[in-house]
Amino acid sequence: MIAGDTVRSRRRRALLLLLAPVTLLLGVFFLVPLGIMVVYSVLEPGLYGGVEWTWYPFNYGRILGWPLNDYEEFDPIYLSIFLGSLKIACLTVLFSLLICYPAAFWVSRMGERRKNFVLFLITLPFFANLLVRIYAWLLLLRPTGFINTLLQGLGLIAQPLDMLFTSFAVVLGMVYIFTPFMFLPIYANVEKLDYSLVRASQDLGATPLQTFLRVILPLTAPGIVGGSIIVFIPALGNFIVPAFLGGSKVQMTGNLIERSFLQSRDWPFGAALALLIMASVVLVLMIQLTRAARTQTKGAV
Amino acid sequence: MFRGFKTFRLWPTLFNAYGFLFLAFLYLPLGLILLYSFNANPINMAVWTGFTLDWYATIFGGAGVKGSFDAAFTEAPERIFAVVKNSFLVAVSAATISTVIGTVTAIALARYRFVGKRFYQALLILPMLVPDIVLGIALLVFFVGAGFQLSLLTIIIGHVTFLSSYVFVVVSTRLAGMDTTLEQASADLGAGPLTTFRRVTLPQIMPGVVGGFLLAFIISLDDVVITYFIAGVGSQTLPLFILAMMRRGLRPQITALAVLIILFSFVVATVGLLLRNRKP
Repeated sequence: MIAGDTVRSRRRRALLLLLAPVTLLLGVFFLVPLGIMVVYSVLEPGLYGGVEWTWYPFNYGRILGWPLNDYEEFDPIYLSIFLGSLKIACLTVLFSLLICYPAAFWVSRMGERRKNFVLFLITLPFFANLLVRIYAWLLLLRPTGFINTLLQGLGLIAQPLDMLFTSFAVVLGMVYIFTPFMFLPIYANVEKLDYSLVRASQDLGATPLQTFLRVILPLTAPGIVGGSIIVFIPALGNFIVPAFLGGSKVQMTGNLIERSFLQSRDWPFGAALALLIMASVVLVLMIQLTRAARTQTKGAV
Repeated sequence: MFRGFKTFRLWPTLFNAYGFLFLAFLYLPLGLILLYSFNANPINMAVWTGFTLDWYATIFGGAGVKGSFDAAFTEAPERIFAVVKNSFLVAVSAATISTVIGTVTAIALARYRFVGKRFYQALLILPMLVPDIVLGIALLVFFVGAGFQLSLLTIIIGHVTFLSSYVFVVVSTRLAGMDTTLEQASADLGAGPLTTFRRVTLPQIMPGVVGGFLLAFIISLDDVVITYFIAGVGSQTLPLFILAMMRRGLRPQITALAVLIILFSFVVATVGLLLRNRKP
């Protein structure tokens, strides 16, 4: 009895010891900073950087449309940049999905050794530095870059195409960077696809399109949703890709945040923008969680 | 559609063709960097004028730079060496600390039952889900507010906050696939928890721990966004250095440096992936 108590209390002490570092780390350097940011987003920006400790909801007002007073007019530029970022993030998700989905089927039907090797090849670029991968696309897309030099050399175009500093370049760069993120969840799902259901559908007289839409697509939906979320989150807040491939022409919310913090030193405004991104991320995650919960209940019935 | 896989050869051929295009999309841009890094043309990298190793030589200090135009865009080997040293210092420290924290947390969550376990599980996933830029500015605001001087130390702390989660996930996967009877046997035979951990648990999860360390190491070494916000004036890392160089213009020296960075990351990642795939 006494011995049992000692063992139990010793186990509890061990548990506390094991959990202490992570509690301290994420408490102090993760939750507290996020909390401070929430507070900053409703404080007045100081004259020379920093904050004034007064309630000031106009950081959000500047973005969403309630100006400080009657003299100030609402400038929709920030809202349109935010909506533009949502659009670019959605396009990135869509195009990475379109190129990764067929590739997942291609890999899933390979033999064991070849499959492992190709999976390795697809994962590897993820480890190449982000900047280096963007650098490659700068070399490809710029007016004196590879594609324009090639097309001009072949005599197909007289003037270099303006590919850099367009939404096209930003989406292309992000699709390139996030391909492994999209591929792996889809692949994990496609790999488990039960082909007997596909055959059953065909034997029952479904056309290939019907089989795809009503059997294959629903069965691989979790992978599609998972990959889309994993790509959407970093795409929405990205500022390095638009900084180089979008230049001053294609701005995203990330660029605004960067500037409010490092150039105009309007921290509360930057914090408000960052929280709008967080809110979008949380919204997407919540939709997914409710969806997952619903599918689970349906499965139980 | 899928019946076609067996009867006609059309679908497999199309799929293979598509697959190779997919791989080409992933690798051709990187191959282009490699090719350009050997091009002697100092003005336009897209026009080949001959093979050279000069750009690599400028990194290691083997060749003087010709012409004042290029000199303005070329970084001295000592500068490059200093930022590489900073990067490695940060990556090794951050990876070591996060490996310890991630591993002990994984053990706590895998081997103990306690109230609030689900809270910890969610908390550990969060740093990976929060967009980089949000974590970066949150840390900046915190460090400045708490009176920290921005330095290599703040970068290390910042990296540890999200890298611990990566190590946690990798080690947890390993622990989940592990047989617990050996641990029980060790305890029954009178070994203390520490001895059991050192002699039984740790050897079994070692590939996961090393894999987690390498993953953390490479992510820390490559991190741009979070480092960008929490680096001080004197604490530039290699990615920030490349970022500054790229803002000044695209020069052959960056191309050569890029090739070296890719090669190093690929070697480390290959070792890590091989370790992870080894069956328990």
